[in-house]
Amino acid sequence: MSALLRVDKLVKHFPVQRGLFGRAKVLIRAVDDLSFELNAGDTMALVGESGCGKSTLGRLLLRLLDATSGQVWFEGQDLMAMSATQLRAARRNVQMIFQDPYSSLNPRMTVEQTLVEPLALHGLAEGRHRQRAIELLDLVGLPAQYLQRYPHEFSGGQRQRIGIARALAVEPKLIVCDEAVSALDVSIQAQVINLLQDLRQRLNLAYVFIAHDLAVVKHIASHVAVMYLGQMVEYADKRSLFEAPRHPYTQALLSAIPLPVPGLKLQRVFLQGDVPSPSNPPSGCRFRTRCPYAQELCARDVPQLKLVEGHAVACHFWDTNHVPAVTTTTEVVNERLLRLQQAFSGSVSVQQGTQVHA
Amino acid sequence: MTNTATALLEVKNLRTSFKHESGVEFSPVDGVSFSVHAGRTLGIVGESGCGKSVTSLSIMGLLPKGQGRISAGSVVFEGRDLATMSIQDMRKLRGDRMAMIFQEPMTSLNPAFTIGNQLIEGIRAHRRISAKEARAHAIEMLRRVRIPSPEQRIDEYPHKLSGGMRQRVMIAMALSCEPKLLIADEPTTALDVTIQAQVLDLMRTLREETGTAIILITHDLGVIAELADDVVVMYSGQVVERASVQRLFSEPQHPYTIGLLGSIPKLHLDQSRLNAIEGQVPTPMTQVTGCRFAPRCPFAVQRCRQEAPQLRDIGGGHEAACWLAPLELVA
Repeated sequence: MSALLRVDKLVKHFPVQRGLFGRAKVLIRAVDDLSFELNAGDTMALVGESGCGKSTLGRLLLRLLDATSGQVWFEGQDLMAMSATQLRAARRNVQMIFQDPYSSLNPRMTVEQTLVEPLALHGLAEGRHRQRAIELLDLVGLPAQYLQRYPHEFSGGQRQRIGIARALAVEPKLIVCDEAVSALDVSIQAQVINLLQDLRQRLNLAYVFIAHDLAVVKHIASHVAVMYLGQMVEYADKRSLFEAPRHPYTQALLSAIPLPVPGLKLQRVFLQGDVPSPSNPPSGCRFRTRCPYAQELCARDVPQLKLVEGHAVACHFWDTNHVPAVTTTTEVVNERLLRLQQAFSGSVSVQQGTQVHA
Repeated sequence: MTNTATALLEVKNLRTSFKHESGVEFSPVDGVSFSVHAGRTLGIVGESGCGKSVTSLSIMGLLPKGQGRISAGSVVFEGRDLATMSIQDMRKLRGDRMAMIFQEPMTSLNPAFTIGNQLIEGIRAHRRISAKEARAHAIEMLRRVRIPSPEQRIDEYPHKLSGGMRQRVMIAMALSCEPKLLIADEPTTALDVTIQAQVLDLMRTLREETGTAIILITHDLGVIAELADDVVVMYSGQVVERASVQRLFSEPQHPYTIGLLGSIPKLHLDQSRLNAIEGQVPTPMTQVTGCRFAPRCPFAVQRCRQEAPQLRDIGGGHEAACWLAPLELVA
C-alpha cells in the first residue's frame, strides 16, 4: 500500500542576516532533513516546543512555503515540483486549519461567502452552493441560520468550527491542523476534538496534527513524531510512544506535564536551561546540551533515526537510558465521576446528531 | 475554609462593574467570596470570561481607571478594606505587602531599561536603602530564582532573555520585598512545558522558603493539582465550588466542575471520547435568572432555571452552588 503523504529529506532554512552581495550569513535551520509517511485515515501528531519547526513543517506540507530541498509526495506527486496551476488543483486534497480562530477568517465575509469561495474556486457543487454550505455547517454542528452572519458574531469555538467547515468544503483527504485547539477553552476544546474525531471517521480523513499539548495528542493521534530543533528525534505509534518513550527529550517532555491528580509524586526529569538557537545548533546530537545522559560521543556524532520494532529514535544510547515511569498512575478509576461525566456526553449526541461510539 | 478571623485576605461578595460603550453597566465579577490564609495557596480555576482575572485586578486595585470599579462587597487584607483605600495607600501596599505576576513575561517588563534598573526601582520604592544595597539585594533575588551568573545578567535588557528567564525575573521582582500575598495570574501559560516544569518547581521551593500566600489563577487543572491547597472554581463571574484540592478532584460536586474535569484529555488514562460540555459560556451582558450554568447542565431541573443557587456547605468545608448537590443521588 502506498502512503497518502510521503515526506522525503525535507529541509527548510531561513536566512536571517545577509552579508555583502546578499549572501546569507546566518541560517535558521527550521526543518532539517525530515522524512516520514502518512497513510489515508491516519492521524500523525507533530509535537515539540516553540521553535522546533513543527509549524514550518506544516506550512511546507501545503507548500505555503517553498522548501530549501527535499520532496513532499502527495498520492505519488511531488508538490515541490508542481507549477502554480497544478498546485492549486492539488490543494483541493490538502487543507489547513489554523490556531487562531480570530484572525483566520475574513471579517468582511459572511459565513456563506467564506464557505462558497473554495467551492467556486474549484468548480464544486455548481448550482447548489447554498445547499452545500448548509451541509457543511451541519457537518460541524452549526445551524443553517448562521449563513448570513459575520465572524465577529461568533465565539472562538464557533469560529473554529467555521474554519473546519471551510477546510472540508473541497472534500480534502488530508487536513493539516496547526495548533487547531490550543487557543480554545477546555470545555470548547473538548467539543472540537470530538468533532475532529467524528469527521475523521465519517469522511476517512487523514490529519497532520501539530500541537504542543501531549494530552491532546495522546487522545487524537494514531502516530506521533517528536521534534527538537528542526529534527525528528522520535517517531512511533501512539501506544508505544506514550508507554515506552525512548528519547530522553520525549521522556522529559512527558514527565513535565502537570497531571490533574493532586498529591501525585512524579519522577520528573528536569531539563537544564533553554532550547539553543536554531541558527547555531549544537554539534552532534542537538539535544545534548540539555540531556541528562549526554556523553562524549553525543557531541561528536549526529545520531541517526534508527527504526527498531516500528519505533524510531535518534539517540546513541536509547537502549541503555533509564526510562522513567511517566504516564502511568495507580489512580483508581472514579466510578461516580465517570458516570456523572457521561451524562454530558448523552446531551452531546442528542443535540448535535453526532454518533457516539463506544 | 477554617477560622475566617485569621485570614490574610478576605474577599466578601465582591462585585466589579464595567461600563459598556452603550452606557449599560455589567458585572464580570458578581458576588465572589473567598479567603486566603497565611502560607496557603488558593487556586482559582475557570475558563475565559469567568472573571478570574478581573477578581485579581480588583484585589490589586489595578482595574482600568474610569472603566471598572468595585461596586459592592469588600476586600479585607490584613484587616484593612482595599475596596475603599486611597490610591496612595494602595500604592504603598502593592509591591510591598502584596505583589503580582502576570501571564506575559514579554510585555510586563519595560524593554527600555535593564532588568537591574527595574528590580532596583521596585525595591527602593518600598525600602529606604542605598542604590548599592538595593543592587546587592537585586542580585541576591536573581540568584534565588536560579538565574545563572546574576552579577552579569542584572545589566541585561529584557530582550536578551528567554521567556522562562523573563518569568523568573518577574518572580524575583514580585518577591523582592517579601510580600505576604502573591497573585500569580496564569504564570506559566505562555511557557513551554519543560520550562513550565522548572518555573512551577521554583514557585514551590520559594513558597516553602518564604511562607508567602499565593493566589494562583489558571485554566490548567494540572497546574492547580500540583500547586494549590484549596481551590475556587469560577463560572460566569461567580464561585460555583470551593473545596480542598483533594476533595475537588476526587469528589467534585458542581456539574460545571464535573464537566470541566471530563473535558480535559488525560495523559494518565485511556478514553475513547471526551465528555465535552455542550454550548457556550454566557457573556457578562446576558441577564440570567436562575443558575448560570443551567443551560449547559445535563442535570438541570425546573428550579435551576428559576432560582439562582447560593454557595452552601455540603459537608466538611466543601461548598457548591447547586440545588442538586451533593450529586450522588441523581446519577
